[in-house]
Amino acid sequence: MDALRIDATRRTPLVDFDFPAGVLRLAGESYPDDSASFFGPVLTALREWLAASDVPVRLDVELVYFNSSSAKALMNMFQALETAAAGGRPVRVIWRCDEDDDAMREFAEDFSEDLDHVEFTVAERLDAAGSGRDDAA
Amino acid sequence: MSFNLFAAEEQVIEHADRLRERLADVAPECCEDLGALIDAFRRSYRDQRRLVRVSDRLQAQLAAANEELERRRNEAETALVHLREAQDIIVRSERLASLGALVAGVAHEINTPVGIAVSCASHLADATQRLRDTVDRGALGRSDFTRYLATATDTTALILANCERAAALIHSFKQVAVDRASSERRVFKLGPYIREVLLSLQPELRQGNHTVTVDCPPEPELDGFPGAVSQILTNLVLNALQHAYRDGRPGTMTIRVTGDDPVELVFADDGAGIAPDDLPHVFEPFFTTRRGEGGSGLGLHIVHNLVVGPLGGTITAASEPGRGTAFTLRFPARAPMPHEDGAAG
Ligand SMILES: Nc1ncnc2c1ncn2[C@@H]1O[C@H](COP(=O)(O)OP(=O)(O)OP(=O)(O)O)[C@@H](O)[C@H]1O
Ligand SMILES: [Mg+2]
Repeated sequence: MDALRIDATRRTPLVDFDFPAGVLRLAGESYPDDSASFFGPVLTALREWLAASDVPVRLDVELVYFNSSSAKALMNMFQALETAAAGGRPVRVIWRCDEDDDAMREFAEDFSEDLDHVEFTVAERLDAAGSGRDDAA
Repeated sequence: MSFNLFAAEEQVIEHADRLRERLADVAPECCEDLGALIDAFRRSYRDQRRLVRVSDRLQAQLAAANEELERRRNEAETALVHLREAQDIIVRSERLASLGALVAGVAHEINTPVGIAVSCASHLADATQRLRDTVDRGALGRSDFTRYLATATDTTALILANCERAAALIHSFKQVAVDRASSERRVFKLGPYIREVLLSLQPELRQGNHTVTVDCPPEPELDGFPGAVSQILTNLVLNALQHAYRDGRPGTMTIRVTGDDPVELVFADDGAGIAPDDLPHVFEPFFTTRRGEGGSGLGLHIVHNLVVGPLGGTITAASEPGRGTAFTLRFPARAPMPHEDGAAG
């Protein structure tokens, strides 16, 4: 399956899913006018790819702000990843935020609560400019 | 024990778990489906808890941001009040400073005629003493007396002329000073008034060898605020000296008045000019290219306010870098009465 890339706008995050490599990334702010129509296709693509391939997955989440419906969309994504991980596929989620961003750190704790098979870690944000990939992590 | 917002959901889950245990004996074939349903409900219940926390936190962030916004707005408003107070003080001290310059100008100008009068008077006193000595010696001849009369006639004429000049200067300065200190309204002739104002600026003009030519028909008689006119012209001339001729080159400024109602007054210099990027900002308060060198950037703002306010007119600036600057004022011969229209004040 091909890559999925949606450039960031003021209200929607960058979506950069490199499916062939298994490296996925969400970055920026997320409070779309219509969260369902923004995240719907993203979730569909993710689920289809999870079903069709078995390469190891890494998802970088680097959101600086998100609204409640984006939070729900994230939980749906994590749930899909958890299901894949439960089936034996290696899945890592890296939650990236500033070291002193207490709210984001608490969100990370909340979001990882139900992930038993996904390897969930919290890390510093990538370069603020944002497109570089940290393959060493 | 603390109050649990999700007690009902948890009870439902407990209840469902017990139901599944009971069902294990009676309908084992349903057990697995029910288990999946319970898990899904459990997940959804945890999602819900999480979402409530997410939105509470966002709500709190929003409230904090609003408080911060409110605090900054208050700070900005306080700063604005302070700025306005400071501006008032500067405007007042600027007026005092220009009065100070006026007094210095007066002293300088009056020095010359008074000096001439003093030396003529002492010359006359010497001649008179000599005449008295001659008379005392009983040696007064006709030619002595004729020479004394000639000296007396010349010196008294000079004394009179110079004292009259000093008196005229004092009169015009007094007028300018009073006008400038007050905002008195009266009828005055524009041409002679412009010349009186320029007289008070002579020391500064002479220092740099600058000249100002006035081209004004004698007629225009204005009913308005000479103090404002004086302050406007003084500011424009001093600005030209400070900004247009910084290289020390002597300059020529012109004041040209045309039309009698509305009156158009153009003040032009042939100096450095104003950069195109600066030109739209020169009337803004605190805009100056001489910050740190004593420029407050209020001069032209005050000029603008005086033209638009008391004079009820307009002012525009045009400039060509390297060739000079021209300010064009247009205002009615009869200034608006206060409250006559919204522009006054
Ligand atoms: N005749 C002129 N020639 C060239 N530039 C001028 C002239 N008059 C004004 N300016 C420019 O306009 C700016 C604003 O003038 P303004 O009189 O408001 O302030 P200022 O002269 O700098 O300071 P202040 O008058 O408070 O001492 C000046 O800093 C200068 O750059
Ligand atoms: Mg000035």
